[in-house]
Amino acid sequence: MANKTLLVAQREYLENVRTKTFWLGILAVPVLIIISLGAGWVLNKLKEVKTYAVVDNSEPTIGRRVEMTARQGDLRAFQKAMSKTGKAFAAVPDKGELPNNEDTDRLYQAMLDMPATDMQAMVEASKGFDKAKKFQRISLSELELDHLEPAEQEKALAKLVDDEKLFAFFTLGKNPTKDLEGFNYVSNNLTDRELRDWYDNAATQVVQSLRIRDAKIPRNVAQRLQEKVEFREKNIDDTGAISDVKVSQKANKYAPVAFVYLLWIAVFSIAQMLLTNTVEEKSIRIMEVLLSSVSPSQLMSGKIWGIAATGLTMVLSWVGFALIGVWLAPMIISGFDFPLMAVVGDPRYLISFVAYFMAGYLLYAAVLVAIGSVCNTLKEAQNLMQPVIIMLIVPLVAMIPIVQEPNGLVAKVMSYIPLFTPFTMMNRAGGPPETYEYVITGILLLATVIFAFKAAGKIFRVGVLMTGKPPKLREIFGWLRQS
Amino acid sequence: MDHALTLDGVTKRFGQFTAVSDLSLKVPKGSIYGFLGQNGAGKTTTIRMVMSIFHQDEGTISVLGHSDASQVKDRLGYLPEEKGLYKKMKTAEIVAYFGKLKGMDKSTANLKARELLTQYGLGDWMDKKCEAMSKGMGQKVQILGTIIHNPDLVILDEPFSGLDPVNRDMMRDTILDMKREGRTVIFSTHVMEQAEQLCDAMMMLHKSKLAFEGTVAEIKQGLDKGIRIDYDGDGSVLQQLPNQERINDNNKSAEIFLKPGSDPQEALRWLVDHLTIRSFDISEPSLHEVFVRTVEARDAGLTAAGLAATGGNS
Repeated sequence: MANKTLLVAQREYLENVRTKTFWLGILAVPVLIIISLGAGWVLNKLKEVKTYAVVDNSEPTIGRRVEMTARQGDLRAFQKAMSKTGKAFAAVPDKGELPNNEDTDRLYQAMLDMPATDMQAMVEASKGFDKAKKFQRISLSELELDHLEPAEQEKALAKLVDDEKLFAFFTLGKNPTKDLEGFNYVSNNLTDRELRDWYDNAATQVVQSLRIRDAKIPRNVAQRLQEKVEFREKNIDDTGAISDVKVSQKANKYAPVAFVYLLWIAVFSIAQMLLTNTVEEKSIRIMEVLLSSVSPSQLMSGKIWGIAATGLTMVLSWVGFALIGVWLAPMIISGFDFPLMAVVGDPRYLISFVAYFMAGYLLYAAVLVAIGSVCNTLKEAQNLMQPVIIMLIVPLVAMIPIVQEPNGLVAKVMSYIPLFTPFTMMNRAGGPPETYEYVITGILLLATVIFAFKAAGKIFRVGVLMTGKPPKLREIFGWLRQS
Repeated sequence: MDHALTLDGVTKRFGQFTAVSDLSLKVPKGSIYGFLGQNGAGKTTTIRMVMSIFHQDEGTISVLGHSDASQVKDRLGYLPEEKGLYKKMKTAEIVAYFGKLKGMDKSTANLKARELLTQYGLGDWMDKKCEAMSKGMGQKVQILGTIIHNPDLVILDEPFSGLDPVNRDMMRDTILDMKREGRTVIFSTHVMEQAEQLCDAMMMLHKSKLAFEGTVAEIKQGLDKGIRIDYDGDGSVLQQLPNQERINDNNKSAEIFLKPGSDPQEALRWLVDHLTIRSFDISEPSLHEVFVRTVEARDAGLTAAGLAATGGNS
């Protein structure tokens, strides 16, 4: 008897797996991810150089100093990064000297020549360079505006900005040590704040130091006053001692999110596949032919298992791609550090992922196969699907709050609602939940799966041979009451 | 006589609606047996109960000597009225799949499927997908899927509906082949000519109840004879025929029933005067007539016993 279930499952599986579209669909996911990541990277690289001008009305002028601070800030970040590698770089100009383009190019070259082990530092440093290269100041003399009155200069610059010959221009107020009157940023694009923030930062530093000097506050006092408080992240390790947080531990905390997401996509797409398949099979009128050879429950479980195998093939292929990606990433992208083995090797993740995938799939499969069996068209099925989809969205919305507070009240309550159990418990894996919680929620979930299968079997038995309008909910409850 | 199928007092209800009520019948082994009845009379429900797709609420069903049909499922072949094929499967695969579902082992099923397809002229289609076939070919494949496992009892629900004459003949020949091989064939239809030509015995359901059961001769026994003519001319004059009680006019032919005691010879003379008669024949009523009369009589609230009375007796 079980043999027939297997035959049905086998046919379902082979029919799906043998099509080219199935494998193309699987391949499409990583390809799309790579394309979208690549597109983002290319777009960022392609961002145009932003040109700006500065009208400096301050007395004494601070424009030059702001410019230098901004440029040197980048270089200093670079230098700081370099210092981590234990190598000195003489190329950074002394304070007070405005670095020119040759300096920048030279540094850039030095960076490229660095050994691969210093990649991390290079990545950080290149961020600074990106900015230095991305923002280009055009002096007023280059624009032949230096002989004009400030008000005239602003007018001319405004016209240049309007004609899109200039991205933006800054004006520096007359008396920055007193107030910030006359500090303006003029541009037609106010959504892209990158240039503005970069220049703001430098100007703030300069103005602050001027004011500190005016107030006659000693330099070291000022530095102390300005120091930011930063807490260092510590953790309690296995021995009970307080220790620094390792990268792998951070990854562990957020790994559940990735797993829940994968779980969700897997359960949702595979259960959906089952629904489509059932409705389709009903519409090609093959159900009754099959029912003359197999019992409705054999047919139903055959379908569910066959599609489960199809789905598992899909999910495992994706996991395979992900593993390859994680393994390859450090070779392509510098600074990529993902403690793969720490996560994969942790039974809390892989084992519970597989277990919760099966349980979650079976639960939703039972619901959807019942829905599919009473519908004649996909459209009808989609209407009936809506409540299920709403149910499925809840764990998705709760994903981030739960990972932040894995043993909080919401997380605990949701664990005991069988429809949410697989997602929530997976979500809480970083917590981790108490053993008794695993046991009780597991039993509840299992009982619900068994109940759902029985109920779905009853609906399937009647529904699958029905044509015409889908039955009312009341009728369906009637079928459930029948033996 | 040995029976392939016996129903005794079978009743099936769906909620308030009684689909089949107190049905008893016997289908002899090796016969071709017809299930007649209007749409919705309960034929398909009866068949589904026999196939143990539905379970009766009352009564007993014995299929091939077993009270539980699911025990002999593998010895039954069933072609439902609503039938389809997996479009993406190859012809030989799907026929073999049906065989495997009936418990055949893999290699036997594959071999037999190819053999049958060749035998029925679909040899070139074995490795093509079902979606590429015409409707008639699809029907053939479905039949082959129904009989691949050499069933002892074959049940066909409306096998002739939607078929062109060539495919109808193919279906008829297949049914006759099965009878020759000693199988029992049950088919449902509302095409009376087919049933009359093919069936050794039959039963008719009317509104979930058994209206009659037996061989064609038994069913027609005791019913008044009718006049059958083939004619040319304007058939509307037939309504003026003296002493006529009821006329089934088909434009080029007609079946005429006279009032009790009337003389058929007189009627013939009148007909010759008014129409060009090509043939004239006095015989038992057609199954079609029996069917229509049964429906009318029962709709009028009469039982099978009352049928003879309305028909009269010449």
